[in-house]
Amino acid sequence: MGLRRKVWLAVAAIAFIAGVRSPAPLAAQSGEGMAPDIASYSIDATLDAAARTLTGREVITWRNPGNVPAYSIRLHLYWNAWRNTDSTWISQLKLAGRADQALGRPADEFGWQQVTELRLMNADGSAGPDLMPGFRYIQPGDQNPADRSLAAADLPNGVAPGESIQLRVAWKAQVPRTFSRTGAIGNYFFVAHWFPKLGTFESDGWAARQFFANTEFYADFGRYDVRLTVPRGWVVGATGREVSRTDTEGATIHRYEQDDVHDFVWTTSPDFVESTQRFEPPSLPPVTMRLLLQPEHRGQEDRHFAATAAALKYYGEWFGAYPYPQITIVDPAWQSDSGGMEYPTLFTAGTSWIAPRGSNDPESVTVHEAGHQFWYGMVANNEVTSAWMDEGLNTFSDARVQSIAFTPNYRVQRFFGGFIPWQFRDIPLSRATDDHYLNSYRAVAERDAPSTPSYLYWPGSTTGISYSKTALWLHTLERYLGWDRLQRVLATYFQRFRFKHPRPEDFFAIVNEESGRDMTWFFDEVHRSSNVFDYAAERLESVEVASRGFTEPTPGAALTFEDTTNKALFRTTVVVRRIGEATFPVDVLITFENGEQVRESWDGRGRWQPYMYEKPTRAVSVQVDPERVLLLDVNYTNNSIATRPLASEAADHWTLQWMVWVQDLLLNYSFFV
Amino acid sequence: MRDAFKDGFGRVRRAPAVVIGLWISTLLVALPSALILHGLLGDHLGASLMAETAARGVNYDWWNEFLVQASGLGQTFVPAIIGFAAVLDNLSRLADNRALAPALAGLVATQIVWSMFLAGGVLERLARDRALGPAAFFSACGVWFVRFIRLGVVAAIAYWLLFTQIHPWFFDTLYPRWTHDLTVERTAFAVRVGLYGVFTALVCAVNVLFDYAKIRAVVEDRRSMLGALAAGTRFVVRHPAKTLSLYVANVLGYLLVVGLYYLAAPGASAGMLAFAVGQVYIVLRVMVRLQFVASQTALFQQKLAHAGYVARPLPTWPESPAAEAIRP
Repeated sequence: MGLRRKVWLAVAAIAFIAGVRSPAPLAAQSGEGMAPDIASYSIDATLDAAARTLTGREVITWRNPGNVPAYSIRLHLYWNAWRNTDSTWISQLKLAGRADQALGRPADEFGWQQVTELRLMNADGSAGPDLMPGFRYIQPGDQNPADRSLAAADLPNGVAPGESIQLRVAWKAQVPRTFSRTGAIGNYFFVAHWFPKLGTFESDGWAARQFFANTEFYADFGRYDVRLTVPRGWVVGATGREVSRTDTEGATIHRYEQDDVHDFVWTTSPDFVESTQRFEPPSLPPVTMRLLLQPEHRGQEDRHFAATAAALKYYGEWFGAYPYPQITIVDPAWQSDSGGMEYPTLFTAGTSWIAPRGSNDPESVTVHEAGHQFWYGMVANNEVTSAWMDEGLNTFSDARVQSIAFTPNYRVQRFFGGFIPWQFRDIPLSRATDDHYLNSYRAVAERDAPSTPSYLYWPGSTTGISYSKTALWLHTLERYLGWDRLQRVLATYFQRFRFKHPRPEDFFAIVNEESGRDMTWFFDEVHRSSNVFDYAAERLESVEVASRGFTEPTPGAALTFEDTTNKALFRTTVVVRRIGEATFPVDVLITFENGEQVRESWDGRGRWQPYMYEKPTRAVSVQVDPERVLLLDVNYTNNSIATRPLASEAADHWTLQWMVWVQDLLLNYSFFV
Repeated sequence: MRDAFKDGFGRVRRAPAVVIGLWISTLLVALPSALILHGLLGDHLGASLMAETAARGVNYDWWNEFLVQASGLGQTFVPAIIGFAAVLDNLSRLADNRALAPALAGLVATQIVWSMFLAGGVLERLARDRALGPAAFFSACGVWFVRFIRLGVVAAIAYWLLFTQIHPWFFDTLYPRWTHDLTVERTAFAVRVGLYGVFTALVCAVNVLFDYAKIRAVVEDRRSMLGALAAGTRFVVRHPAKTLSLYVANVLGYLLVVGLYYLAAPGASAGMLAFAVGQVYIVLRVMVRLQFVASQTALFQQKLAHAGYVARPLPTWPESPAAEAIRP
């Protein structure tokens, strides 16, 4: 532990004792022992780069963290998701109509894993009972007999709660042409979810499911000690820190270690350009950032470091510090399909050869994946059932970082096969809508309720629901409760569930606790239902106050018909509506010609709500939710009415632009006549 | 070649009515769809305050909201219409053979047929290098329209082969095969640029043959379009350097116009100014297309040693005794 780290720890401890919570609630840091050691792995693996095969042996030390004994084990064999075209993973792609690439591959581009040895080890380290006779593939998620991505094996005596066992596993595997961000292309290998890995044992038993196309991972924390044998001269990046390097004939053994993580990933290639920078802000512990860059992206080195540093800084200040001494950024090879993915202490970014500054990549993906070190890496929710908890929180958080650190950020469209970018300087992207991908949510808003287990989502709605909807409702909460409160919510959640597996209810409870309000109604709408929000202004009218009808001057007198008009007074009628099924309290703002504004608070529960005013001035506009607190409103255009609308001017403006485009298009085609 | 280029430029310059007519014709072809789009945009905005920002520049929130619910023509209202992106989008669409939105296919078909109708009149005007007057111009249009339709069928087959057989072979078979194991984007881009180059050369080759076929048909008053195509091909084959260098010079002229628009195209907030600059660009594009035709015609006529020669006599009034009979 260096001096800087000690000083920082002292500051953090004083701050904690003093009850300082905002803006940067911080927890004690340490390099080791932060997480419970439940599943630890000692792995030896050898890559045959030419044959694209991997052979490995591992010793797993597992402690039963549950409340019931375990009589069997679960082993994830993720690469078997690409062993055949009937696997659950590929079947889901077929369902979504996206399986073409997978179905047409040659045999050497498939991937598989085969366990060749599985046995229990005795307490003295000697080989114990062979578990292979009871080894079988299971399919608890969908009963698909063709799926081989999850296996079970019976334990002869069971493992009591708190008791530990050691397992010895040997396996061989074919490295696929990249599927789901793991595999190889050319001399670039990105090797993820690659070793036989225990499922997660919860309080009442195993929570392991097969590999589904629209879900990610769930594993227990532990210690990893991994020795990787790769061709000599190749650069290796991996989870953790390299502790030794030993050359053998034609190969090098790289040894990496890391405590307190729940996965281990690595990459190797002879082409990586390696560089490092230190992240050393005064209020956070230092981190060594190691970047493995593609040679053609040399000019973007500073952008990768800046984006990673921004994530570490803002997430660290808002939620809690990054506790590991290093982080590795991998710039994936072109068309490796391994970009934009997070693993403990290592993530893949993603950029293009031509990437104009002031646009999304590589900053956006880098901040996002670096941010996953917090939401996923440390706060390790079950991504198979509640993917929104890391993806949504992280999308919200990364957009907030980007809006502070990387603005303006312009829309980019790529032409000519995707190689030539054009930056629209007229379209700066907004955090509230674009960075939260409101359009992505709109497209699937009613497809799935987020409370549905993620692996059961419609395959096309993962992004829209897990990422976008969550980010949008978090930003709605930010606007509704205020950033200070929401930051406390997130910081408390981070501190309380670091190195744990929180469930959705844990998060909701903290929102209620920190906000001082019962927000259950909100989560009923945004989490437990697929209802959409759509409020609208339906009517705005200001007319002179007029009255016609019979009056009775005195009781019993003859009725007389009167027709009166007060030209100095105007009756304004406003009607607002709730079109969507979901409800949220909204403000209604009526603006009058003399500049006067009237703000009404509507609980938003009824189907419609009228407002009437008599004033010596006419209304000029009405707006429902004028500050756009409710970012989930799928149709904001209908939220307002102006008495002198500019729709025609806007249509003129844009039709004229469109005309030039069409004329150019017509001339292109008529050139051939 | 240089003389032909200059001569062609002069002929275009001396035919302002043709330039203006073709420019207006593109406006007229686009106008009905523009009016429909105008209605769609106006309807979607309705009385909303969102129109206030949309009228001044980009309201990207509204734009996305519009696109989510848009169908047909509305789906063509995308950010790529803004400024110079429009040019990139349209060129990229051709280069990558991206399908046209169904709502635009009818528009393009109209433009092609209309251009085919005008082609005869335009060619005669440029070949004679003197004003024809509306009657003679449209008479020439009528005379050549049917013949050019026959030639157009052959051209359509050639372009069909290029865009439905050769292009997919290049970009859906060869390109993925050659880049399958590439991990360097720059290399893949170089491969793609190479394929673009070869494909563009093929398209230009076909284009130049059909250009000279039309030129020979008009200048020599040919009835057989297959004969004209054969004659045009013979001319190109016998004068490859001149025809190629002239074509390249004209392509450079096109690139110059595109470059000028790149520098001048205003942003989305410019409104009427953006439209005005866009129309100047469209006029220049029309001139460039006419420059191709005029300079190639001049080159052919130079070889005949008869500048401005056109075999077909101009129609004279009255054309028939019946017409004479109705005169007062």
